Amino acid sequence: MSNNASTMTPPSGLVNTVALAGIAGVVVSLALVFMNMAGQGHASFNTTSDGVVWGLPVSTYLFFVVMSTGLTFVSAFGMVFGIREFYPVAKRCVWLALATLIAGFTVLAFELGHPFRMLWALPTSFQIYSPMNWMGVLYGAELLFIVWKLQKLEAGDWESGVSKKLGMASFIAAILAVAMLGSVFGMMAMRPYWFGGMIPMYFLLTALLCGVALTMLTSYVAYGFDRDRMPGALQDLLKGTTSTLYASLPVVFSTVIGITLVALTLRTATGLWSHQDGFEAFNWMVGTPWFLLQAIALLVAFFLMVNPGTRAGQGAQVGAALLVLVAMFIGSYLFVVGGQVVPVFKGVWVADFVEYAPSLTEWMLVVLGVSLCLALYGFGEKKLNLGAAPDK
Amino acid sequence: MAKWGMVIDLDKCTGCTACTTSCGMENNRLPGENWQDVLFYQEGEFPSGTLKWFPRPCMHCENASCVEVCPTRATYKDADGFVLIDWNKCIGCKYCMIACPYGVRFYTDEKAPIQPDVKQVFKGDGQRSWNPPWRAPDSRDDWKHGVGIQPNGVVSKCTFCYHRVSKAPKGTPDLNPANPALREFTPACVVTCAPTARYFGDLSNPNSEVSKMIANQRGVRLRDHTGNKPQVYYLTGGAGGAVPTDRRGKKA
Amino acid sequence: MKLLENMITRRRFLQASGAAAGTAAVSGGLGYATLAPMSEAQAQGGGGTTITKNICGQCPARCGIDVYTTNGRVHAIYGDPGNPIANGKLCPKGHLGTYFLYDADRFKGPMKRTNPKKGRNEDPKFVPISWDEAFDTVAKRLQTLRDKGESHRLAHFYGRGWGPSDAGLYGDFGKLYGTPNSAIGHASLCAEGSKRAKQATDGNNSYNAYDYHNTNYILNFGAGFLEAFRPYNYLMQAWGHMRTKSPKTRITSIDVRMSTTMAASDRALMIKPATDAALALAVAHVMLVEGLWDKEFVGDFKDGLNLFKSGQDVPENSFAERWTHGIAGWWNAVVKNATPKWAAEITTLAEADIVAVAREFGTTRPAMAIMERGPTAHTNGTYAGMCIHSLNALAGTMFAKGGMFYQMGVPYGGLPVKSEDFMDDYAKSPDRKKPRIDLAGSADWPMTGTMMQECAKNHLAGKPYKLDTAMFFYTNPIFTAPDAKVWEEALKDVFVIDTSPFPGETAMYADIVMPEHTYLERLQDSPTYPFEGWPMTALRVPAIKPLYDTKHFGDMIIEIGKRMQGPMGDYYKALGNTENVIRARAKGFEANPGDNGVKDFETWKEKGVWYRKPYHWRQHRGEFYEWDGSDYRKKMTADDVKAKLLKTPSGKFEFKSGFLEKHAEYIQRTLGVAPDRVGFPQYIPAKHTGGGDLHLVTPKTAMHAEGRGANLPHAIALAQPSMGGKTTVYLEIHPETAKKRGIKNNGRVRLKAKLGTIEAIARYSPATRPDTLILPQEHGHWAQGRWAKDRRPGNTSDICDNVSDPISGLACYYTGKVTIEAA
Repeated sequence: MSNNASTMTPPSGLVNTVALAGIAGVVVSLALVFMNMAGQGHASFNTTSDGVVWGLPVSTYLFFVVMSTGLTFVSAFGMVFGIREFYPVAKRCVWLALATLIAGFTVLAFELGHPFRMLWALPTSFQIYSPMNWMGVLYGAELLFIVWKLQKLEAGDWESGVSKKLGMASFIAAILAVAMLGSVFGMMAMRPYWFGGMIPMYFLLTALLCGVALTMLTSYVAYGFDRDRMPGALQDLLKGTTSTLYASLPVVFSTVIGITLVALTLRTATGLWSHQDGFEAFNWMVGTPWFLLQAIALLVAFFLMVNPGTRAGQGAQVGAALLVLVAMFIGSYLFVVGGQVVPVFKGVWVADFVEYAPSLTEWMLVVLGVSLCLALYGFGEKKLNLGAAPDK
Repeated sequence: MAKWGMVIDLDKCTGCTACTTSCGMENNRLPGENWQDVLFYQEGEFPSGTLKWFPRPCMHCENASCVEVCPTRATYKDADGFVLIDWNKCIGCKYCMIACPYGVRFYTDEKAPIQPDVKQVFKGDGQRSWNPPWRAPDSRDDWKHGVGIQPNGVVSKCTFCYHRVSKAPKGTPDLNPANPALREFTPACVVTCAPTARYFGDLSNPNSEVSKMIANQRGVRLRDHTGNKPQVYYLTGGAGGAVPTDRRGKKA
Repeated sequence: MKLLENMITRRRFLQASGAAAGTAAVSGGLGYATLAPMSEAQAQGGGGTTITKNICGQCPARCGIDVYTTNGRVHAIYGDPGNPIANGKLCPKGHLGTYFLYDADRFKGPMKRTNPKKGRNEDPKFVPISWDEAFDTVAKRLQTLRDKGESHRLAHFYGRGWGPSDAGLYGDFGKLYGTPNSAIGHASLCAEGSKRAKQATDGNNSYNAYDYHNTNYILNFGAGFLEAFRPYNYLMQAWGHMRTKSPKTRITSIDVRMSTTMAASDRALMIKPATDAALALAVAHVMLVEGLWDKEFVGDFKDGLNLFKSGQDVPENSFAERWTHGIAGWWNAVVKNATPKWAAEITTLAEADIVAVAREFGTTRPAMAIMERGPTAHTNGTYAGMCIHSLNALAGTMFAKGGMFYQMGVPYGGLPVKSEDFMDDYAKSPDRKKPRIDLAGSADWPMTGTMMQECAKNHLAGKPYKLDTAMFFYTNPIFTAPDAKVWEEALKDVFVIDTSPFPGETAMYADIVMPEHTYLERLQDSPTYPFEGWPMTALRVPAIKPLYDTKHFGDMIIEIGKRMQGPMGDYYKALGNTENVIRARAKGFEANPGDNGVKDFETWKEKGVWYRKPYHWRQHRGEFYEWDGSDYRKKMTADDVKAKLLKTPSGKFEFKSGFLEKHAEYIQRTLGVAPDRVGFPQYIPAKHTGGGDLHLVTPKTAMHAEGRGANLPHAIALAQPSMGGKTTVYLEIHPETAKKRGIKNNGRVRLKAKLGTIEAIARYSPATRPDTLILPQEHGHWAQGRWAKDRRPGNTSDICDNVSDPISGLACYYTGKVTIEAA
């Protein structure tokens, strides 16, 4: 198994804690979710037909599967584009891509009316015009390639033709999947807040951002927030002390945060500037405290990563990663809900903006998703040697 | 092949909501969940402020966006122009509710606006999400066409009273409830509409009353810019001068 | 092949529908199921769908309904195409009728109270009893009362009586038993004002029949034409016709709030509450000054020169009146100064609008001025109604095509037994001449026929005496009467019998509960309210056997009667049951077969309605004609007209009311009108109650169902769609009025009046008058079923003073003023 013993480091005690917390979270959240849904079904959600139809569970799903794509990107830096400096995080990224994908689809399963019916109805009665279907197919493909690739990596096969092709396949599937996920929203001309062919591009961008952030965070978690315990190559990647600029994680991170900030600002400005019916959602968005929190989080993270004095620091990196993850979670929520807050017709039957606050059950699905990620991550870290990298 | 469509004369509609209740009882809808809703709002201010309302069934669009997004083709366009949901195939993803520009689709499992929840008072049997004593005869259940009491976990919508209209004699140009021979085939809301603001007929037949009314009284379609091409028309008056509403191009 | 298939389907279809049209009421596979393809009809497991004829029971309109029943389950209600009111249509309430039948909170059978304490928070601890025990208990009590010579201490109270088989039995019961209180009707809580206004002017103490289909102009004073005016369903049908016929009927509506009626009209005038009389007088003023009155009906100045000049008297004998009486006196005393400018100040309407309305109304024929309780539920209500109705005389609307007239009675057969033959000495004794408990018709209320709202107060004061036993039918005064809480006190020491199928507030005070059938379970006839004039009566045919151990209210009266000693008991034993009553009534059809072929009880059951067109009288260009069998050709003499149509002392339409002048002293005492003026339709300021600064108006919305919709989830969800009221009804308030008081949109508020405080949720409504608050009456029950109980807002009756128009006795529900604050 271990042709790469040089990078083998025992997982820190923190990982145990993370795994246990994850398992506890899964148990508690599942118990609550089952209890509420057994009694009330989806009435335990605060979503409504004349209000927000897709609520927090969908935005949570979105957050996780977008992240999964991002992690596949980061893994691809090393495994597809041959930037060997990224090898130290590659396997962890692949595993996390799988974990987040599982978390995302688990949350979604609880959101669907008939998740099991989907398993036969989708293949037997496939609607080729539905972007949701293609999203499903592509994420399915991504899942398949990731698992396969992991199996290769577990076998120590990093650079065989098949392994490389699988990396490439995962990468392409991931790009197309997240793009198609963007299209699920972007194609909805009747919902101006979502509409546009560039929405998939925005999804790609935020995917990368999330992927880099989680890569950075888990790199520290894996080694108990002790950089000195890390292999040298990983330290180099995190500190940006490699010879090539783009092989510096903080540089990549700050760049992606910066581009995201620009994209988000322009999207918001465009929405606020236009008088098109439906764009009132942007006014709603900027009026929420969440938007402010998201903006501050991204700006602080950007500052921490751009500023040469803080960029390489452990605390700054952990902090920036956490801030970005929180910001992207909020961003995902605002995006999903924002497309629905403007009622389809005005009328006294509903307020100017639809009111929605997630229920306990919906929040428990968030806990479930996060806990599942933590538990899977902990498992991977303990059992799969996620820090592995091929010999030079 | 008919192309069933509805015409609603806004000059006659009195906003009474009998369409809503007749539909609610004919189709066993939950209280507050109106397949056929009437939306009210105020405009202006005293002493010239006024009330407006807008009756809104499912538009049974020609280019139905709900049909296009439904991953399992549970929502489909029938050969006679109905847009229907097959409750055996619906997975409850609610994408159709997102994609519908008219807001006329309903998910079963939601918090009941009226408490105590009637679904708890008249409990379902596992198949049906509830079981009101006044429900339609069991033999009418037809999940393939979204007719009957909605099961759990699926989306529902106005069927144009498929269970009535689909039994109409082939080739009927108009379903006029004043004609005893056609009354039982006419959608519930059209049957009961007291001011006769609603008409139902075959839009593909240029000799049908609905086709003539659309021509003579300026029938317009709601949100035509979405390109969904509703099969429900609203009459807004007879003047020749008109704001263009329909781009008869390839898309719309 | 295809063609053949179509032909077969078509033929079968035509056969089936022909059968359905012919004998739809006969059970056994006709109606809905037979219209389905044969294979499906068979698939229904043998139990085909039947259609039975019935009458909707949710408002007084009496729409005929088709009740669809399959396998013993009622599953649909549609309008009866053969019923002239329904014409196959229904209002939003009508479809919800099955809800009443299957109401989860219905009483399941007779019960008696075991907790002697009564109160809102007292559980009555009802225990089931048999019907025999219930009847025996009540009969024994009544017998004891009678034996003591105190039979007057029994009172019957009723709200929605339907006809000869229920409320129609009260009169004989009262005569035989010996009480003046059989029965106290609810008319004084309903719309007595418009009836009295018509009695005072054209001599008919009645609502009007209307010829909407032929009218070209409606001036609508406060009638909820598209919400609550009767018959709502038919009015909407008429609306559809009027708005698309040639020429289109123009409609101006005057109301104190924005409603669907106002919004759908050509012109909506948001008038200050209780000032409608001023507007009507100004319209009359303009019509007279500009010579727009109908000269063929009213007459003209003798020399043809219009002497009506604003502010100037006309010589009393200068005007030659035809079918009116007192126009010159009315002009000189009232109308000459009722200029549009004067009215504009009182009504807050624009002078230009008033003039425009007057000219439209004055120049369009036929035109009608209609009204209902809005303008008349104030202390000046009868006078307001008279001012409005006077416009119908000026426009020549009375008995004209496209105008208004009165309802003809049904030629019912007589009962097989006559109560006069069963009167014992006790019943005949002059000692039985006691005042009614409500004092209607006494010196206190000399001009009223019924005063239900006074009963609780009078009982508590022992004036004229204390009640012993009260039986309630289709009325719930503890919830609906003004100052409702007084009833809670009053009924504590009265033996209460409630007959509602539903657990209302009055039932919570009941000593015996005798639940009646819901309307889908009843055999019951019901003559129409004033409709189009020609006689009509509809029949309820039970759709299914009663679901529970309930009875017909008429049978309760008969069963109690049977248990009384002496000839009274014999009378009821001879009468038998309500079906006998209805069969006897139907005998009248043998000589008068209906237009739809109904000629006896069986055909009546099949068709559900008997009617016979046309209306028998018509006024055309100042001449009255009677129907001669084929047309209105028999010219009527003035005496004929007085006897049959204009039943005033003068036999004319009176601008100077002889009826009122007879009570001049009383009117002067109660309303402060000088005796020489009491006869004239006039504006006097209303006395507003409550002590607040904002008018509180509590309208009935379309879903109101006479207060019985509060426990129907579907009705609750649609109680006030105009304001988005899905779970409550919102208080409609002008945003400026609200902001001045720190009240937020959707904020909780308290409404305070002298009688107390209720809570509500306010919604900004820019179309509402800034000096007026609108809160639809519906919720605030503390009983009535699980959905009704404790549903906000509070009960508006709790803050409504018990004040009535002295002339009509109509409770002034809309005259209260309140203060409002954020809660």
